[in-house]
Amino acid sequence: MSTDQQTAGRIHAITHRVTGAALRYPHPRAWDVCFAGAMALLVLFFVSVAWLFYKGVGVWGNNIPVNWSLAISNYIWFLGVGHAGTLISALLLLVNQGRRNELNRFAETMTLFSVVCAGLYPVLHLGRPWLFYWMAPYPNSMGIWPQFKSPLAWDFFAVLTYLLVSVVFWYIGLLPDLGIMRDRAKKRWQQVLYGIFALGWRGSARHWARWETAYRLSAAIAVALVVSVTAEYSLIFAAGPVPGWNSTIYPPYFLMGAVFSGFAVVSMITAVLRPSLDISDLVTDRHLDLLGKLTLACGLMTAYGYVAEAFTALYSADKFEIQTLADRVSGSHSFSYWGAIVCNFVPLQLLWFRAVRTSPLALFAIGLSVTVGMWLERYMLLATSLYRDYLISSWGGYAPSLWEWLLFAGMLGVFFVPFLLFVRFLPMMSTFEVARRIYNEDDREAHHA
Amino acid sequence: MEDGTIRTDRKNAHLLSLRLDEADAARNAPDGIDRRAFLKAVGASLAAAGLAGCSGEPDQNALPYVEVPEGTVPGIARYYASAVTFEGYAQPILGRTFSGRPVKLEGNPDHPACEGATDLFTQAALMGLYDPARSQAPRRLGDPVTWKDAEAVLVRLGRQLDENEGAGFRIVTGQVSSPTLIRQIDALLKRWPNARWHMIAPFAPVRAAAATRAVYGRPLLLRPRLEKAQTLVLLDEDILGPGPFQTVYGEAFGAARRARREGDAPFRLLVAEPVPTPTGAMADKRHAVEPQVVMPILQAIGVALGLVEDSGQKLAGKAASFADQAIAALRHAGAASLLMVGERHGAEAQQLALRINEALGAMGSTLSLLEPEGAPMPEAANGITQLKDDLERGAAQDLLLVNVDPVYTESGGDFASLLKSARLTIHAGLYEDATARTCDWHLPLQHDLESWSDARAFDGTVSIIQPLVKPFFDVRSIHSVLAMLAGRFASDHEIVQETWKPEWGAAFGERWRDVLLKGFVDGSASQPVRPTALPAAPVRRAETAPFNGFTLAVHPDPSIWDGSLSENAWAQETPKPMNKMTWGTLLTVSPATASELGLKNGDGVAVHIENRAQSALVWVQPGQADKTLGLTTGYGRKTGEGAETTLGANAFLLMGSSGKRLVEGVAIEKTGEHVDLPTTQPHQAMDGRDFARTAPLTQAGQMRDAQPRVTEAPPSFYPDRPLDGPQWGMSIDLDICIGCNACVVACVAENNVPMVGRELVAEGREMHWLRVDHYHDGNVEDPEFHFQPVPCMHCEQAPCEMGCPVNAAVHSRDGLNLQVYNRCIGTRTCSSFCPYKVRRFNWFDFTSDDPETLQAMRNPDVTVRMRGVMEKCTYCVQRIEETRISAQKEGRPIRDGEVRTACQQACPTQAITFGDVADPSTAVSRKKREERNYLLLEEVNTRPRTSYLARLIEDEPKSGETG
Repeated sequence: MSTDQQTAGRIHAITHRVTGAALRYPHPRAWDVCFAGAMALLVLFFVSVAWLFYKGVGVWGNNIPVNWSLAISNYIWFLGVGHAGTLISALLLLVNQGRRNELNRFAETMTLFSVVCAGLYPVLHLGRPWLFYWMAPYPNSMGIWPQFKSPLAWDFFAVLTYLLVSVVFWYIGLLPDLGIMRDRAKKRWQQVLYGIFALGWRGSARHWARWETAYRLSAAIAVALVVSVTAEYSLIFAAGPVPGWNSTIYPPYFLMGAVFSGFAVVSMITAVLRPSLDISDLVTDRHLDLLGKLTLACGLMTAYGYVAEAFTALYSADKFEIQTLADRVSGSHSFSYWGAIVCNFVPLQLLWFRAVRTSPLALFAIGLSVTVGMWLERYMLLATSLYRDYLISSWGGYAPSLWEWLLFAGMLGVFFVPFLLFVRFLPMMSTFEVARRIYNEDDREAHHA
Repeated sequence: MEDGTIRTDRKNAHLLSLRLDEADAARNAPDGIDRRAFLKAVGASLAAAGLAGCSGEPDQNALPYVEVPEGTVPGIARYYASAVTFEGYAQPILGRTFSGRPVKLEGNPDHPACEGATDLFTQAALMGLYDPARSQAPRRLGDPVTWKDAEAVLVRLGRQLDENEGAGFRIVTGQVSSPTLIRQIDALLKRWPNARWHMIAPFAPVRAAAATRAVYGRPLLLRPRLEKAQTLVLLDEDILGPGPFQTVYGEAFGAARRARREGDAPFRLLVAEPVPTPTGAMADKRHAVEPQVVMPILQAIGVALGLVEDSGQKLAGKAASFADQAIAALRHAGAASLLMVGERHGAEAQQLALRINEALGAMGSTLSLLEPEGAPMPEAANGITQLKDDLERGAAQDLLLVNVDPVYTESGGDFASLLKSARLTIHAGLYEDATARTCDWHLPLQHDLESWSDARAFDGTVSIIQPLVKPFFDVRSIHSVLAMLAGRFASDHEIVQETWKPEWGAAFGERWRDVLLKGFVDGSASQPVRPTALPAAPVRRAETAPFNGFTLAVHPDPSIWDGSLSENAWAQETPKPMNKMTWGTLLTVSPATASELGLKNGDGVAVHIENRAQSALVWVQPGQADKTLGLTTGYGRKTGEGAETTLGANAFLLMGSSGKRLVEGVAIEKTGEHVDLPTTQPHQAMDGRDFARTAPLTQAGQMRDAQPRVTEAPPSFYPDRPLDGPQWGMSIDLDICIGCNACVVACVAENNVPMVGRELVAEGREMHWLRVDHYHDGNVEDPEFHFQPVPCMHCEQAPCEMGCPVNAAVHSRDGLNLQVYNRCIGTRTCSSFCPYKVRRFNWFDFTSDDPETLQAMRNPDVTVRMRGVMEKCTYCVQRIEETRISAQKEGRPIRDGEVRTACQQACPTQAITFGDVADPSTAVSRKKREERNYLLLEEVNTRPRTSYLARLIEDEPKSGETG
């Protein structure tokens, strides 16, 4: 019984700490500074969007032939970052990997706000953004459906679906914790607010049973979606008859790249949140090790995509494909190609060593490198294919304008403001799941004893 | 006067109509109160608004169509036959008007010289009419005054001239062919015997006139008949390039090349030139020579024909082999050969060329001589040098300058200070240009499209110029101004009629009406004369003097000519044929010179000659002779809008006071400056690709440097479309496209294509629906040049249609790839997926801030696009629909050739054929069955409806040549 009491005591302590962070944040000063920075970026977002809407999409550096640019490469990059969250959380849940529990809430939250950022970009990049809803298949007086052959129409459906499923999955996972928060909140308004969102959660056995089914179901959908959404938006490249795009490698290539960049971002966030929330004992070195291994594996698979792409271009003997490969390697945007290769795959090799994998600092650095590298890759895929396509007469150039960079910076505000609010006001780890795992482990240890 | 509206049957191939009532009302209004009332009703509001610098008035006031004439259906176009002038010569047109607004100029298909085609200057003339930068009111020393004031000064001047018999009075014009203007000026000169008339057009054929005087004893007009030539040797003569007769020469060239292909007559074009031109690009054999070698080549030909003493001198290298080939070809064709040499090589060269043509028997066959029909020829005696002398001596004191800008075109000779020394200077012109600002008085003139006047065309045929619209600024015609000077107040209409009444006699009324309907005076073409050449002894072969430094070869600008179109946005934004530069001019250098000096495209250089200097931007021009610099005129202005919006050096200033267009001893040095050039095509080397293909002339069945012909399109993922009803398609013949850009500007006018300005062109955001790609291929010293017009391909399996998520890019049943503007949300997927990159995006709001005049210019049949939507070539769907509707009403199918796209209609060489490709009997189907037919980027399997006919080239391999 003493172990039971011990266990109960530990669970209580964990619950207290995790939910306590939401109710009484441990480092309010640091949070305030971060939040102020994020808010500044958010203001920048609204300024750059206002200018964009006032003048038109010409304030960016786009042109003919480079019709798409930073907006679309950032869109893909944000989606890729987001996918890791879903994968970590849902995939590990489905295969009953207890290790997920400490990471899943961050990851899911990151997914959510990444998808929001990603979803904003294609709307902002439209010539007439106020008509974006014409992509939706809704009954309308014009009697026109979207054009179902277009990868963009499916893109719209896919991202919208992904956003909805991500929200549902995240919210279902949060539900029991919202109940706990409600019960532990001291202030009346907190009790009411958490109470509303807890949807009357009482933790009864029936609740738990229903919850388990719903959670696993939405996880299953989310995992499938990661694959289909990545495949879908890879088609906005692959379906176009553009050298460097028109290739069947794209769906798996994009999936691997997305998951790769996602794991990299999760590594970074974990490395930052672990000390700042005092949860090193919960998010242990073993978690870091796991993250490192996953990042390495995905990185190697992405590298295979690079090799396969280059090989396909050369083997095709198609002069336009080879030209595009040459432009990537040595053209005016070659910095993005070599930058992607170096940032993605060189520091990555350090992850072969356990010592590196378990070092939060190293993991953060490698994660940052991969995040930058994947960003460069998305940029490279867009710019190097478009700026010189078929007809030499149409070859042009592209350089992102100031307003594109400002919008990108502002978009980070769109990401960080809600993310920081989440860290501050909601349990950033799944309290009950961590508790359950500790309980199970202690139980096993007790049996061993 | 026969008032009322006369309108021919709409079903006719072209519609001619004449609205005399309105125009007469305008011109017949007497002076005084009525005129003022008229002005008030007509355009005073806009003129005043223009003066006040704001314009809040609605369109209908800006462009009055106050009383709708009987029989007018709003929205239905009416056509008026008239002409616009370029370099004083008539460019016959049919002006398409809607509710009194001209919206498009077409060539007059019945005109014997121009046969329905136009050049880019004629197309751009419409923009000239509506140009908000036009001068809108008279000015005295820069301050706005009224026409009453102007009239007073003209009348006073007239009285004074009556007293002193015109002493010190000078009328300064450009080239003039208008019988009425000539009659008016002649009358003034008779009345004031001491007055003089100067013609100072910088590109007037002064040396050719001098040569005809030397050879035939009197100045005559030279009229080459390219269509009759079997061998055409051009020494630094860009005959297919810009000029008042580009349309005529283009048509003749097209006819000659077509005849060659069909085996009717051989046609061989040999060109030696220092700076590549469209003519050189189209040559069967082109040789790049320094300008100094042109005369020796000409003399070598002269030696061979016994016209020049053989001094034993030999040409070196490739020049010798070119001369030998030229001699052989000229001899072979005999009387069917023609040799021409560039005006800038001097009167001696012109004279020798004339004698060579005489010796070959070409005179009277491929070269005609016309009497100037009373028009003074531009010669040294009445030229700019004489005028400058007279100004210096004080012999010229009172000047009336008409539509000329010598302060700019003579900037190398500092004409401005000479002009300031005169007693009274009056400038009459369309713009407040540098000369207008220097003169005491500036009188704004009418545009041809709002005037009564007349002018002669290439062959001397007279066109009566009738107004298509009432003037909407406070402007007068030159005829009124001269009448005022003569102390007489008559309407322009009367003045023009007075010219023809004596000649036509009793039948005048009838004939006048017919002429206005038709647009030109039947049978008024000048009869070629055949004077005997004065005997001449063989001339001595001149020693070739060695030369130092670079030689600057100055060309008229292919878009803005001598700068007279510098305010015209359509002209400015037209990419120049050989480097696709817009809004500026570039100093072209040979690749060897460039690598020697470390220059690349867009680098800045300082150009020095004697004490004159200009900074210029470099273009490395493959095929240019070494030690030669090329520069076009019209840029580097100090004042006016052209000064701020354009790039480049002032060629006139570098020419100095001599007026010579070849300047030796020029030095250049790199400044380190670099500019991103507003060229629409930064990359022009074809790098061995097969975009513009060629086929050997003798084996028309084989295509050189082409991929194996795909006889059957590979299968597509998407189902084939049904081919019922007419299926529109286009064929473009690269054998006869001379890259002249008439199609490009015609497309702009027809389809309301917005101009975006220099900065946006440099950013790759030009809006032209039709572009003419220019490539050079092979050795950069001696490359092949290609022009390739690229409209939308109207793919049957169009990637854009697949990509658009909202059904804005759709396919019509008749095979058009359409863009639905109001459905477009601007994802730009269509453009990303388009292998031809023919789509254009409205990055900003390009249209709603247009001045009212420009809004009035728009074609009401074509939607004006808003910000954020994609647009592109529609095969002129509005014309297809118009024809389809009228055919349907008559219950008949659309006839072949009934629908003509704007580009096709303008094309001087008829390189573009459009029609139903489902019907094997149509012209376009016949073209597409030719062996040399090919599809651009066939391997992408988009199945384009636009196809190309490969250019035919002589068999000898280019690389096999030796010196």
